[in-house]
Amino acid sequence: MRKIWLVIKREYLTRVRTRGFILSTVGLPLFSVGIFAVTLALATRKTDHTLKISILDNLGGLAPEIVAGLQENLPDGQPLYQVVRTWDRPESAKKVQEELNEQVRQGRLDGFLEVPKDILEGKAATFHSQSLEDFQTHRAISRAVDNAVIARRLGDRGVYVDNLSDVVRGVEVSLVRVTKTGESEEKGEGFLVRLSIVMILYITLLVYGVMTMRSVLEEKSTRIIEILASSVKPSHLLSGKILGVAAVGLTQYLIWALTAALVSGYGAAVGSVFRPGASAPSFHLPASFLVYPLIFFLAGYFLYASLYAALGAMVSSEEELQQVQLPVTMLLVVCVILSPIIMRDPNSPLAVTLTMIPLFSPILMVFRITVQTPPFWQIALSLALCVLTTAGVVQLSAKIYRVGILMYGKRPSLVELLRWLRYT
Amino acid sequence: MEAVVLEQVSKRFDSVVAVDNLSLRVAQGAVFGLLGPNGAGKTTSLRMILHILAPDEGTIQVLGQPASGRTQDLIGYLPEERGLYARMKVREVLVFLAGLKGLSEAEASKRVRQWLERLELAAWAEKKIIDLSKGMQQKAQFIAAVIHRPPLLILDEPFTGLDPLNATLIKDIMLELRAQGSTIILSTHRMEQVEMMCDAICLINHGRSVLAGDLRAIKQSYGKNTLRIEYSGDGDFLDLPHLVEKLNHFGALVEVKLRPGADPQEIVKAAVARGVRLSRFELVEPPLHDIFIEKVSEGHA
Repeated sequence: MRKIWLVIKREYLTRVRTRGFILSTVGLPLFSVGIFAVTLALATRKTDHTLKISILDNLGGLAPEIVAGLQENLPDGQPLYQVVRTWDRPESAKKVQEELNEQVRQGRLDGFLEVPKDILEGKAATFHSQSLEDFQTHRAISRAVDNAVIARRLGDRGVYVDNLSDVVRGVEVSLVRVTKTGESEEKGEGFLVRLSIVMILYITLLVYGVMTMRSVLEEKSTRIIEILASSVKPSHLLSGKILGVAAVGLTQYLIWALTAALVSGYGAAVGSVFRPGASAPSFHLPASFLVYPLIFFLAGYFLYASLYAALGAMVSSEEELQQVQLPVTMLLVVCVILSPIIMRDPNSPLAVTLTMIPLFSPILMVFRITVQTPPFWQIALSLALCVLTTAGVVQLSAKIYRVGILMYGKRPSLVELLRWLRYT
Repeated sequence: MEAVVLEQVSKRFDSVVAVDNLSLRVAQGAVFGLLGPNGAGKTTSLRMILHILAPDEGTIQVLGQPASGRTQDLIGYLPEERGLYARMKVREVLVFLAGLKGLSEAEASKRVRQWLERLELAAWAEKKIIDLSKGMQQKAQFIAAVIHRPPLLILDEPFTGLDPLNATLIKDIMLELRAQGSTIILSTHRMEQVEMMCDAICLINHGRSVLAGDLRAIKQSYGKNTLRIEYSGDGDFLDLPHLVEKLNHFGALVEVKLRPGADPQEIVKAAVARGVRLSRFELVEPPLHDIFIEKVSEGHA
């Protein structure tokens, strides 16, 4: 047991200390946090001075409504918008527009709003300014115009409303799904969350499986395996290796999860900017979203890691590795390709069959659970099949590993592999 | 008690018989030479002693116990194919390997420091294996084999790739370990090393023991039938087929294997008659090299 622990420790420490690990672990979240922070800073950048604007109202009578809608204040209490002048149906709209343009160009005015004559029929109003990327300004003005136009249309039909913004405020539709057991239950944040779960499972099984495989080949090609095999039981060596790489993956995910928590804090802030008034997106994941995937994932991890380890033990060079790993990697790719079948109809016979296949269930059953909770017996059967297969594959892989690590030269044929399984 | 006992051990890989009914005994405290041509089954035998492979038939005892995971810790092993984790630091690799042999981390660290000092690698302790020269890597690997003071040390071609200085260093350590009671199994193709270092040998061919026992006794059993001659002049005087069975020219020196019953005096006479000056004329036991070739080619006949 102490020896397994030493193997795990070495595997873990040598991997965690590599530049690649630090780059991928720290770099990725830093990168996404950075992107988020920059977006956030840009989107929420408040002008620190009052914006001077004018309104050219070709419809007539709309300007006061719009001005009423521009009542935001700067942090220091000064108004954000100062309407310098409004023009109500001037005689020469063209001349006024030219003059306003000139003022904007000279910087005496931050911008002007032009309301077309037929705005009530749906023609767009235009905001002229030197910098068009100021999202905040644009949004506030557009909302003010929007509300003014709606109020006017209502007024034309004889409806007068105080506090129009209360009336026109949008309502969100949240999706509530009815399940077999009768209770209704909210399922995550839709398709994206499910798809990202599939992708995370796929990438994890692939990346750490391949890492295990390379680790096996490294010991073989450096020939240190001969010394290791004379000190540790191959099965201990193999399990230490798989657990060590798993610990590396766990560390990486822990760091990412912590960063994700931070990022979603930011995300909520960003969200409130884009959808003022809407509550920040909440991720209330039900337990079935986490518990089953975890069990399936663990079974799948040991299944694929031991398969990959056996592949690593079968070959003697990096080039051969590329060839032999293809079939196993394809199994994982196929899972991702097949996932739409489950998305479309999670209870079709095809979907049920696919989620029973042990090599697929670590990804596909998890996906199916997130789409629609299958009957318990199906989850249980799928899980039992998966765990049993994993136990078997680990045994076979350990046998191949034990023989393979001492074999150099030609890659074994299938017949030879079968013979390896019989060696004592 | 013997350090290693193999009783009628066989090991097959598919149709190939790697080791065939092999029995051998290695006395405790001896330097034992395991010899044989390439592919004779030496590595397979060593791997079975190391419990890396299990025999199909027969039993193996190491220091009085059946070979097992427990006996692995009693053995130090320097394989012929060398290699350590290329990207790990020298000190870390050695502490790790010592840990696998049962040493605590503190004890392992202490001994690694001492050994690196002794083998003049102290300055390289924090360097990666990949940055070491081949000879230095080999010394590091030797440390891995001896760090847990194993009562049984298995060395496969320990001197290849070492300069004479380092080879002497390693040889001295081997002798020192032996003086402390360790048993050493030496597998090598260098017969002169075997002659200088080994007390007993086992020569295997096609997985079978073809010659085994005390080295002196083996050589004596062949008798003094070989002449070592150095001379100046015409070498034709040795053209004596009725006396000479085989000639082996080494440039400055000639080894002459005499026919049974041949009188060395006749050769001196022939030299004098031809006016050849002899600077060395010595009657010796046959070199192990010749015994090796004779025994191995018998097997092929």
